[in-house]
Amino acid sequence: MSKDPTIVAFLCNWCSYTGADLAGTSRMKYNSNIRVIRVMCSGRIGPTFVLKAFREGADGVLICGCHPGDCHYHEGNYKCLRRFHLLQKYVSQLGMDKDRIRLEWISASEGKEFAELVNNFSNKIKEIGKSKVRKTMEEWT
Amino acid sequence: MDATKNNKSKLKLAIYWGAACGGCCVSVLDVHEHLYDIVAAADLVFWPIALDTKYKDVEAMEDDFIDITLFNGAVRNSENEHMAHLLRQKSKILVAYGSCAHLGGIPGLANLSDKKELFNRVYLESESTMNSEQIFPQTKTEVKEGILELPEFYNDVRALNQVTDVDFYIPGCPPTSDRLLEVFTAIVSGSELPPKGSVIGAQMKPLCDECERKKSDKKQVKKFLRPWEVIDDGETCFIEQGLICLGPATRAGCGYRCIKGNAPCRGCYGPTPDIIDPGAKMMSAIATAIDSNDPDEILEIIDSIEDPAGTFYRVSVPAALFRKKIVENNVEVKIT
Amino acid sequence: MEEKRIGVYVCWCGTNIAMMVDVKDVSKEMEKLPGVVLAKNYKYMCSDPGQDMIIKDIKKYNLDRIVVAACSPRIHEITFRNALENAGLNPYMLQMANISEQDSWVHTDRIEATRKAKSLVAAAIRRVIHHKPLKKRIVNVHPNTLIIGGGVAGMSAALELSEAGKKSFLIEKSDQLGGTAAKLKLSFPYLNDVVNDISNLIKRVEKSEHIQVILNAEVQEIHGFIGNFNGIVKTTDEKEYSIEFGNTIVATGLKSFDAGKLKNYGYWKYSEVITSIEFELLVKQGVVVNKKGIVPENIAIIHCAGSRNENYNNYCSRTCCMSALKYANQLRNLLPDANIFEMYADMRTFGRGCEELYTSTSRKGIMFLMFDQRAELPLIKEDERGNGVVIEFKELLSGEEIQVPADLVILMVGMEAHENAKSVSHLSGISMDSNGFFIEKHPKLDPVATTTDGVYVVGSCQAPKDIPDSVSQAKAAVARILATILRGTVEVEVTTAEINADICCGCQFCISVCPYGANSFDAANDVSVVNEVLCKGCGTCATACPSGAISTKHFTDEQILSQIEGLMAKVHELEELETN
Repeated sequence: MSKDPTIVAFLCNWCSYTGADLAGTSRMKYNSNIRVIRVMCSGRIGPTFVLKAFREGADGVLICGCHPGDCHYHEGNYKCLRRFHLLQKYVSQLGMDKDRIRLEWISASEGKEFAELVNNFSNKIKEIGKSKVRKTMEEWT
Repeated sequence: MDATKNNKSKLKLAIYWGAACGGCCVSVLDVHEHLYDIVAAADLVFWPIALDTKYKDVEAMEDDFIDITLFNGAVRNSENEHMAHLLRQKSKILVAYGSCAHLGGIPGLANLSDKKELFNRVYLESESTMNSEQIFPQTKTEVKEGILELPEFYNDVRALNQVTDVDFYIPGCPPTSDRLLEVFTAIVSGSELPPKGSVIGAQMKPLCDECERKKSDKKQVKKFLRPWEVIDDGETCFIEQGLICLGPATRAGCGYRCIKGNAPCRGCYGPTPDIIDPGAKMMSAIATAIDSNDPDEILEIIDSIEDPAGTFYRVSVPAALFRKKIVENNVEVKIT
Repeated sequence: MEEKRIGVYVCWCGTNIAMMVDVKDVSKEMEKLPGVVLAKNYKYMCSDPGQDMIIKDIKKYNLDRIVVAACSPRIHEITFRNALENAGLNPYMLQMANISEQDSWVHTDRIEATRKAKSLVAAAIRRVIHHKPLKKRIVNVHPNTLIIGGGVAGMSAALELSEAGKKSFLIEKSDQLGGTAAKLKLSFPYLNDVVNDISNLIKRVEKSEHIQVILNAEVQEIHGFIGNFNGIVKTTDEKEYSIEFGNTIVATGLKSFDAGKLKNYGYWKYSEVITSIEFELLVKQGVVVNKKGIVPENIAIIHCAGSRNENYNNYCSRTCCMSALKYANQLRNLLPDANIFEMYADMRTFGRGCEELYTSTSRKGIMFLMFDQRAELPLIKEDERGNGVVIEFKELLSGEEIQVPADLVILMVGMEAHENAKSVSHLSGISMDSNGFFIEKHPKLDPVATTTDGVYVVGSCQAPKDIPDSVSQAKAAVARILATILRGTVEVEVTTAEINADICCGCQFCISVCPYGANSFDAANDVSVVNEVLCKGCGTCATACPSGAISTKHFTDEQILSQIEGLMAKVHELEELETN
């Protein structure tokens, strides 16, 4: 439903995006409010993309990479992890619920886990409510 | 000097301050004896800090009467906003002068709070305040002589381009007098102006390009330190000493004044070209430099970054993607 | 910005997409978006007529960018890139929207799935506007090949390369070639003696002038990229080899399931209980006795030890049923009077000659008993009368709880990924699944290549396999490699990082960030530089770069940010449409 929160997800090509594809080929079902953007590595994902997604109206941002130790590019996922934690601290300072941003590891074989994650995160965002970021930033008060 | 006299051979220059500390106006005076060159080439038609021209004199000017307005300061209240619109209307070229007009500046840090919190702090809670009647500033107050008016204090601080159309930006807190003179000389000499919207009086490359401190590829940090926690060796890159320096993400042009004074860069010259969020890139770089892959240790190291919003967006909160405080249900906001 | 001419193609994928996404509605709506010249929908975009349609349209309407909304780009991006190329357009002027695996197949509400498709396609359209043509990079291919693992798969690959006169380095961790197959006596289903086969294979490898065998050795480092790898091999006596090669074959084999983990079977407790590996050793020696040295009278062969059970490994190890039948035959020959029990969960005897072996074995006085390996496993207990052990379980065919006495129990242990799989995966840059087996590039259409160009996986390191499958895979990989050697050149990754020297200030944040050492500092010019040949295009340095000087080709900030805008703009537009 359109009143459902919208989740923008950034998935790494090798593990998470492949895992999401596997959820599809295995015909798993999950919430349709997720919109995926593929990047080659979670190490490509930085604060700018996440902030931009919220600024454009996302209610939650999901970041997925390969499991620790399994990154196709060795350590991109750790770089992502470091940025994620700092970003969470920054958005909290601005008053946003930091749980609107989530980082999880999904391997190429974890189609089921991906489907569960989407539903689980989607429920979490529903619980937190629609984000006010876009509206707040567009209002001049 | 008759500020409104129309002298065709000379440029007409205006300088205005919005929410500012006055430093930008002083930076104009800091050109020292070159001020004579400026007034030889231009008539100053409006400059509240130095001249007695009134707002109504500006209102009386024809549209585009002023050749160049250097607008410094952010837009914090209705007076600032009114003047921004008015000067836009009266000026051929409107320049956002200094960090506050460019990105919101130090006053922009107030966007991490809202009006109510600010008023409570200033008019109720501050240690030196006695205000048992809880009197707050009002836009209109009736006294027996009539009605007194104050500008309306806005909830959020804005950069100049968030209020009106801006032609050029001269960054800096304040801009260096040298850069101002260069820009002024170029305009007077009739040089071709850069495309509208350009940042002028600053470099494309970040500060590190000029900085003379020793840099290496050892950008790995176990603990971030605040300046008072470090005995600076005076020659090593601040970041490699564990200090957060915004130099790598900030345009050069300031003459690395802070660095020369052994203080890390605070980013007053603003981000490099095509950056959509002024602090996110540096935040990303600093996070990447965290020297750990262990989630707990990463959190511990991040703990040592006291105030990310105030650090990475020191002069640019209003220009950020998250330009002000977000009020969410059930989230307690911590102001640092 | 000059006008863009975008063609949008929405695939039905038969009914795969069309049943859950209103493809006509999607293409109709996309036609309205800025820059879109035409939007079409078609039954099978990836088919020849589908591709021809794109090619003709590009020429006829002078299209300069293409969006294909279909399956995952991981499946057909290459297909459509080739189509663009055939039409004279740079292949990177394509963007795909995944409306199948990540939309129609995972959602159940047609309206929602259609809405999502619109948002994904709109995002692709916004993104493709910022695409830039990228130039192909072609590099020479070094004719040597590195083969990690000297089992049947590795040796077969080496011999096949040798046949073509191409050199390979065959690196074996142990002190002899042969791998797991060298431990076997007979092979199924024809019960041929495999000992001779393997020793002949080893002899041929050792004799070949094109194969350099390095025993007791491990690969320490691999650097470079397809066509141009170099590596370091170190032996246990600290001898170091520095080698250059164009391709890598990973054939690291398997490890047996640790039978000690099975609670019910008392592997460490009872001397009657042995593993299939231990049994192979016994038959090779020609004497079947239990650990007490007693010739057994009652022999139980328990299938699925550690396989197909959620407490151990979920997967089927594929070869154990056949091996178990082979053992029954071997035992019947060696001990004509013994009672032999095959305790199986499901009898999996696919493949030529296998069902036949099952049939013939069942006529040799072997008792077949079935248990449920998904429930409680059979329980091995000590026989109270002091005669070995008793196996207790519910026999499924009769439905009765039974007790079977045994003085030899053979556990058919499954195959597991090698414990060094993780380090091999890091070394060679390939991925593993959750069981530690290496992942092939495409499960059906590209089963020997990996997502790292120039690295192939063969044999049981990819999944449990029998000998012929391992050999086939090895020879298939060699065919792929020989094709590149024969051509002499390959295309390599073009979506590398790029540094704008007008912005770069030489802060050097990007140097240590790169796992491949592709970024270095040019002190003379005070800027960082990318070695595009080493760069694999992960983009980590671009995101670490504080000034924005670094961008990742085809994954630029501009491209990703506009994709975000496109995604969300459509979400809002549809929401507003609904509220009004």
